[in-house]
Amino acid sequence: MKKKLRDFIFQELIFVAEPGQFSDDDDLLEAGLDSMGIMRLIMFIENEYGVTLPDTEIEPSNVQSLNALEQWILRHKKG
Amino acid sequence: MPLLSAFKQRCLETPEAIALIEGQQQLSYQQLMQRIYQLSSCLAAVKIPRPRVVIALDRGIDATIAVFAVLGVDACYIPLDMKNPPHRLNYIINDAAPGCIIGKGACPDWLESPELWLDIGQADFAPSGSQILATANPESIAAILYTSGSTGTPKGVALSHRALANFANWAASTFTLSPLERIASLAPFHFDLSIFDLFSCLSCGATVNFMPASLTLSPSRLTAWLQEQRISVFYTVPSLLGFIALKGALKTTPLPDLKTVLFAGEVFPTPQLITLCELLPTVQFYNLYGPTETNVCCYWPIDRERLQPEQAIPIGYPACGALLEIDEKTGELRVQSANNLSGYWQQGKLGSALSADDFYNTGDKVSLNGQGEYCYHGRLDRMLKCSGYRVEPSEIEAVLLSCPEVANCAVIGIPDSTSGQRPAAVVVLKPGAKLETIVKPIKQGLPAYMQPSKIIALDALPYLSNGKTDYQALLYLLEKN
Repeated sequence: MKKKLRDFIFQELIFVAEPGQFSDDDDLLEAGLDSMGIMRLIMFIENEYGVTLPDTEIEPSNVQSLNALEQWILRHKKG
Repeated sequence: MPLLSAFKQRCLETPEAIALIEGQQQLSYQQLMQRIYQLSSCLAAVKIPRPRVVIALDRGIDATIAVFAVLGVDACYIPLDMKNPPHRLNYIINDAAPGCIIGKGACPDWLESPELWLDIGQADFAPSGSQILATANPESIAAILYTSGSTGTPKGVALSHRALANFANWAASTFTLSPLERIASLAPFHFDLSIFDLFSCLSCGATVNFMPASLTLSPSRLTAWLQEQRISVFYTVPSLLGFIALKGALKTTPLPDLKTVLFAGEVFPTPQLITLCELLPTVQFYNLYGPTETNVCCYWPIDRERLQPEQAIPIGYPACGALLEIDEKTGELRVQSANNLSGYWQQGKLGSALSADDFYNTGDKVSLNGQGEYCYHGRLDRMLKCSGYRVEPSEIEAVLLSCPEVANCAVIGIPDSTSGQRPAAVVVLKPGAKLETIVKPIKQGLPAYMQPSKIIALDALPYLSNGKTDYQALLYLLEKN
């Protein structure tokens, strides 16, 4: 799952020098993910994984890093 | 009515009314006026050598005080986007050639002209002076708003008192603003949307509430804030409203106080607008159109019954007393308006920007529909609209070409259903150079919204048979990769 998220984020949303060196805990917001990027990311996730991410959970802490994103998605995939 | 007259009147008539709110801090009209007098007496004491003052503050209470204090000493204000990298900020400051720079606290290290720095904190101890705000000549420049320039460097749109007042008065009456209004303000002051928040709203005795920027990352918190602050009017960009429509928890967050929503800066995708209209059934929406050079020159009150998902909404009817013309050959919209800029400020002086007959040529292609409404059909040149910001590809190209590793480059916009367009770049690197070496110059040279979201390296740029860059081929390559 992280590979797919990674590809989408670094190919479509933000440009970083070496995506390979961007760790799963590095800060996506600092790297340039903005409100429009978050919106596109959420639409991508909902389509790709068939989950519905609740409106009230869209906040910086859940989109801060690849690990945070994955955990957020998994919480909703199970439930 | 002169720009500051109505505001001054409000300060006298309703001194106790709340003018500004920023987080836990709020100022009444009387307190605001007091702070403005203190800062303007500081400015008068400094005897600024040139009647231009850069405001190096983020939007908010301090920046508002600075704007009015600068106008009060008959100077013009030049708001900086503090999120810009220092290189671009210094460029703008040098180009503006100001007499003073108002900031907060100690002068930052990056500033190339520290002798101009004035800490707004000093004004707290200043006497309130003569308690007079100058009444400027209507043709005096009131503001210079820097925007992306097609020559590769930012350019300043110089707006007179006449231009700001004409828009402010039109908006106040068209949207029937009352002193009871609670206005959410999100636009940075270098963005022309802020002219509404600062001048239309404060002229009406309304309360301007600065929305915390972090809320834009969390649409449900944003709508909860609108509810809690009982916001009645909000002027912002479609991309943010689209985010709220899709993910703002509006079904469980009714906004009974919200009555007017204005949007401008980019095309609002109609399906998202329909969703938003359904979620906010009692709100009146308005589509406002116009480049910074003309401010709003066209507007359309949203007619819900006419919204069709597959059909773009019109930009509507002439606004602010503008006279509109469509060039027969090109379809370009030409605007004659009291809102029009006085000229472009570049390299310390004012250059002309209007045609001989006083029209501004927008570079936007438009047509008239059967109902006599204007409709927008995109740009005639390469300018991009990214989340409401206007971006000239040539400015990004100039930064890329300044990297020693880059032999050639081209920047285009990739269409995006949520934010209009996103800049993307194709670069041709010099032999042996690596793509990652150009990242630092980009991050240092361009604000976030201008940074390409995608960069690919090619051996050569694709050209058309006439020798021009083949932008269609570039778009294909960037979308495929």
